[in-house]
Amino acid sequence: MNVIYQSTYYTLYQSVKERSFYVDFGQKMVRMSLCQLLSLRYKVMSIPIESHFDGDLNEHGFEVLLLCNKEHLFVLNTYEILDLKQFVEQSFVALGLSVGAETASV
Amino acid sequence: MKDIARQSMSIKVESMDLLNQQIKMEAHASATYLAMASWCEQNGFFTSAKFFYKQTEEERGHMMKIFEFLVDTGGNPVSPEVTDINHDYSSIVDVFENTLEHEVAVTKSIHNIVKKARELGDLATERFLDWFVLEQVEEENTIRDILDMINVTGTEGVGLQMIDNKVADWID
Ligand SMILES: [Fe+2]
Ligand SMILES: [Fe+2]
Repeated sequence: MNVIYQSTYYTLYQSVKERSFYVDFGQKMVRMSLCQLLSLRYKVMSIPIESHFDGDLNEHGFEVLLLCNKEHLFVLNTYEILDLKQFVEQSFVALGLSVGAETASV
Repeated sequence: MKDIARQSMSIKVESMDLLNQQIKMEAHASATYLAMASWCEQNGFFTSAKFFYKQTEEERGHMMKIFEFLVDTGGNPVSPEVTDINHDYSSIVDVFENTLEHEVAVTKSIHNIVKKARELGDLATERFLDWFVLEQVEEENTIRDILDMINVTGTEGVGLQMIDNKVADWID
């Protein structure tokens, strides 16, 4: 297995032998296909981070993340979400499927 | 052998995001035309209602075309949430003027994705959208023709009824 990308809390690995990916979430290692990585990206990008800085919208500053058809559940705090957002973005750049934020400001 | 990611997906995620937004836009158009059909039915413009039933199906077709493209390229198509559908129109002219506005907005959005795909070097997405670029020319033209017909006919007296009858020329 080789490391594709690493952020403060998370690491993406690729296993050529298994033709799949692994994400180390710290608490556990989750095996993922590219489709599942895309779905992770979609879920993470959809988290409204602004609400974490508004006591009324997200009082406790936590997000619940359900992955891989509800097989895995994570409760993440603001720091972890911020890092995870950056992690998924940069992971796709590292995978060669994204050009990154600078050129792709949509 | 290293590139499992590239082997699984043949477009850029930025293109995928834009296409998912376009899916949403087509779904919104489809829902809007259905609302227009409802308005036409309630206000006695039965031929125009038929026209919008046809439009609503077409827009759904556009949505599915993009959806299937995302499936084919290994992307992650997202079933869109459709909100804010306007049901209030002041007249049949207002309905068609809104339609044209909607179509122009869709055209702009598609052109924007084409440009972005070009920037990304995403040839597959760029070529895929060729069909949509031409389709939009046709769609805009249809609505402009209907608005021209409305202008010529005029809305006085039996004008409105004539307008509704003539919309039949653009169904099929
Ligand atoms: Fe369309
Ligand atoms: Fe259209």
